[in-house]
Amino acid sequence: MNIWQRLAGLHRQWIFILVWIAVIFPLIVPATFEISTTPEVKALYDAVEALPDSSVVMLTFDLYPNALAETEPMTRAALHHLFRNNHKVVTVTTIPLGGPSVAERVTRELAAEYGKVYGTDFVNLGYKPNYVSVLKGMGSSIESIYPADNSGTPLGRLPLMTTVKNYADIAFIFVVTDNGIIDFWISIVNAQFGKPVGAGVTSVMAPKQYAYIGSGQLTGMLGGMKGAAEYEQLVGKPALAVTGMGIQSLVHFLLIGLIVVGNLGFFMNRRSQAKKGGGA
Amino acid sequence: MRTLLPLAIAFISGLIMVIAFFINPEQKTVGTISQDLLIWSSIIGGFTFLLGAISITRVNWKQVSMRKPGWGYNLLTVLAVFVMAVPALWPAAWLPSGWERLAGRNAGSIYDWLFLYTATPMSQTMFAILAFYIASAAYRAFRARSTEATLLLLTASMVMLWRVPMGEAFLLFISPDLPGVINTYIMGGISLSVQRGIIIGAALGAATMSLRILLGIERTYMGRS
Amino acid sequence: MEIFQIWVMAFFTLAIFSFLYADNPVFKFAEHIFAGITAGYYVALYLDTVVKQQLWQPLTQDFNSNWLLIFPGILGLLMFARLYPRFSWLARIGLAFVMGTTAGVFLMSELHGNVLGQMAGTMQIQQTGGEPNYVLTILIIIGLISTLIYFYFSKEHVGALGATAKLGIWFIMISFGAHFGYTVMARISLLIGRVYFLWTDWIGSFIT
Repeated sequence: MNIWQRLAGLHRQWIFILVWIAVIFPLIVPATFEISTTPEVKALYDAVEALPDSSVVMLTFDLYPNALAETEPMTRAALHHLFRNNHKVVTVTTIPLGGPSVAERVTRELAAEYGKVYGTDFVNLGYKPNYVSVLKGMGSSIESIYPADNSGTPLGRLPLMTTVKNYADIAFIFVVTDNGIIDFWISIVNAQFGKPVGAGVTSVMAPKQYAYIGSGQLTGMLGGMKGAAEYEQLVGKPALAVTGMGIQSLVHFLLIGLIVVGNLGFFMNRRSQAKKGGGA
Repeated sequence: MRTLLPLAIAFISGLIMVIAFFINPEQKTVGTISQDLLIWSSIIGGFTFLLGAISITRVNWKQVSMRKPGWGYNLLTVLAVFVMAVPALWPAAWLPSGWERLAGRNAGSIYDWLFLYTATPMSQTMFAILAFYIASAAYRAFRARSTEATLLLLTASMVMLWRVPMGEAFLLFISPDLPGVINTYIMGGISLSVQRGIIIGAALGAATMSLRILLGIERTYMGRS
Repeated sequence: MEIFQIWVMAFFTLAIFSFLYADNPVFKFAEHIFAGITAGYYVALYLDTVVKQQLWQPLTQDFNSNWLLIFPGILGLLMFARLYPRFSWLARIGLAFVMGTTAGVFLMSELHGNVLGQMAGTMQIQQTGGEPNYVLTILIIIGLISTLIYFYFSKEHVGALGATAKLGIWFIMISFGAHFGYTVMARISLLIGRVYFLWTDWIGSFIT
């Protein structure tokens, strides 16, 4: 086996080891980087900044636990932003697995930091099945879809929900999601009820959202951990996403290096085989 | 009857929702009926998920009762279902004083604890290991064999550099306008147009499928007769 | 976070990571526990949020105003007929209701929100930094048309149609390349989350 064949045919366990090293090394030798802000993130930040005082914002936890590394930093930064600006927060989720629990945990933790009171400053409505029914139904009456909050307290007993009857009482919808539900927030809620929607999405989904940003259907977007890092920086609460950028940088360079090495091995091997074949 | 009744129900319920789209939701009759249909749909949808969860338990219990190979693992699954569901549904009033927090679904309950400290890390890790496979796949399969493949590779590499601070610094070193060009013309131009085409195509497909369901042409959701 | 909880999380994290080396009993153990806990999560969630909050409480607290909820309750219960082959056809009724309602909403929302919305967006002059960008606008129009033509398979891709479809392929390859770059980032981010936990919380618990 010549050097080019070896380069093009490394065993995958070696690849795994290299990835482990690239992820662990920046944790041992941490480095901070300046993170530039993209226009999409700035647009979302500015949209929230422009909201009048004590606006009601619907923050959605439409996320599964598997992508929490990307989505939880977004929800935390969003709550810092919203609570700091004295907005009221109503959280909902259309995802059964994890959404209600994560929403409960994160909102209560951040609310305690800002001295916010449950029922007056924030409410967790939890989950109801069939997202089409939920998204469309809340346009007429939130209480008909959610007779009680996530803990089972009737909405009539929550002071905030006595003033929030449907989308007309909500100033902005901040969707944090790791699945295609954002399409329905846009096609049902934004298109039919005219509500401004901003989104925090995982990196896998981010390229598609540019189409919605371009058409004005989406106000702004946080794309993956980078988007979360930018937002954390703008809000002034750097956390996991900002820390993760250093690790992300090294692994991306590793992957590009592997692609280059793999292609180099492939082409040089192909050339040497062509020469052998030509010589025979 | 077995086919006609469901088809008629699908048609009528769908037609009401289509008509409701064109009518002001404040309008009493259509507004109330369409809102009720949405609530009913939410309730029935919940039973569908319940059916799925019960099916999983049933399938695993069958493996255990028939002592199939690996039945021990299936028993674990069944036990986990009960350990999770029973405390969540147990009335807190039936527990001794001081233990009420363990019941229900709120923070501090057994339900919440198990989900947060066992299911969540497992779920996150299952997706985290994909990073290794994507690295291995990128190394093995990404070859610039053709013009199209080369375009894909070059764009992927540029975007991967652009999305990280170190990479962006490298791109700025090549040209100060390069990150802006990638954002504006690649993501906000070429990629946007393709994604828009896919969105429009998929939306037309979804609308077509919806119409087929309403008209009873598409019946696969009913299963075999 | 308490030490015991950290160790439980670390155990299950490492159990799943062990699959990278090979399938093994520890991974299988964790995998089956995960399946059971997830199913149990759903059972409790739906019994609480749907059966209790949306059906039982409205019917028992104010039957006169909510008696109509009996119907979705019956249709929902009929879903369980699927478990018995002889009566499985009864489940179709509830399913047809959900499918019909959803299809009715989708039909309009997809056409209105996605088709018309995206077409309207294409007809606007794109802005960059507040200034009109005609190059970008033309790029988007060309890209959209060539992509849609590429995916049109009812006619053979020859002549002008073929050339446009070829252009469409190049646009699509660039878009997929960008998508791949983002996907790589997504997967790495998830790995970062897990390794960060193991390093700071789990290994950190040995040191502190």
